[in-house]
Amino acid sequence: MSMSSIITLTLPGERLFARVATQAATSVADLVTGNARHEPAGRDFSHAFELAVSEAFTNSVTHARENATAQVVKLTFLFEQRQLTVSVHDANDPFTIETPVPDIESFPENGFGLLIIRKVMDRVIYRRDGDSNILSMSKAL
Amino acid sequence: MTISETSKIGIAILSLNGTLDALSAPEFRNNRSVIDPEKTVVVDLQQVDFIDSSGIGAIVSASRQKRQPTGGIVLSCMNDRVRKVFEITNAQKLFHIFDDTIAAVDFAATRQKSAGA
Repeated sequence: MSMSSIITLTLPGERLFARVATQAATSVADLVTGNARHEPAGRDFSHAFELAVSEAFTNSVTHARENATAQVVKLTFLFEQRQLTVSVHDANDPFTIETPVPDIESFPENGFGLLIIRKVMDRVIYRRDGDSNILSMSKAL
Repeated sequence: MTISETSKIGIAILSLNGTLDALSAPEFRNNRSVIDPEKTVVVDLQQVDFIDSSGIGAIVSASRQKRQPTGGIVLSCMNDRVRKVFEITNAQKLFHIFDDTIAAVDFAATRQKSAGA
């Protein structure tokens, strides 16, 4: 994959397509790690993107506006300076990534998605662009 | 994801295979042995190739619905990918976790017996 390559994938905002999103993330991560994808560090790199995209895509679908028509979730992948960034775009209401970590002792069913993303990625940035949310998640090789 | 269910000395063993995420979590959550509050279930995770927070949430939620001490969820054969997500969420604190399913079943059976079930 050349420097500054951008890959864009647009999917229906339905749970059914989460695996397509995560498999795309895994494939791109494998591509940039090259032969190292068979090493533990390469496998961890791919797993991190698989997890982060699964969480972000699921959040996008879960929080989709009920009256939204033709709801889609767009993923963009950018690889530059040995760092892979995946950005997840949706047209949902704004949100914050500064959410408290759920207390596990209360047996919570939800609320761990952003925690997982923050733990497996080097950098997580949220921004609002017009009517869109953009969650960018980066990890260096 | 597929769930194959067997039973050993009165303990249900659910062997999960595949991906446990938002799409497949309801299948686990709605399993008859999982729903039964009085039943102790051993969940074998060896063949789970991917789990995310929705999968963790489904297992945590199932555990919350069990009526102690007769009911419960016991986990076995966690691979590294699954273990990592349990550790990130700290959910491993909520469960008895065994490296092999036979040990998990023995533990569950002993616990049920001492609870008088």
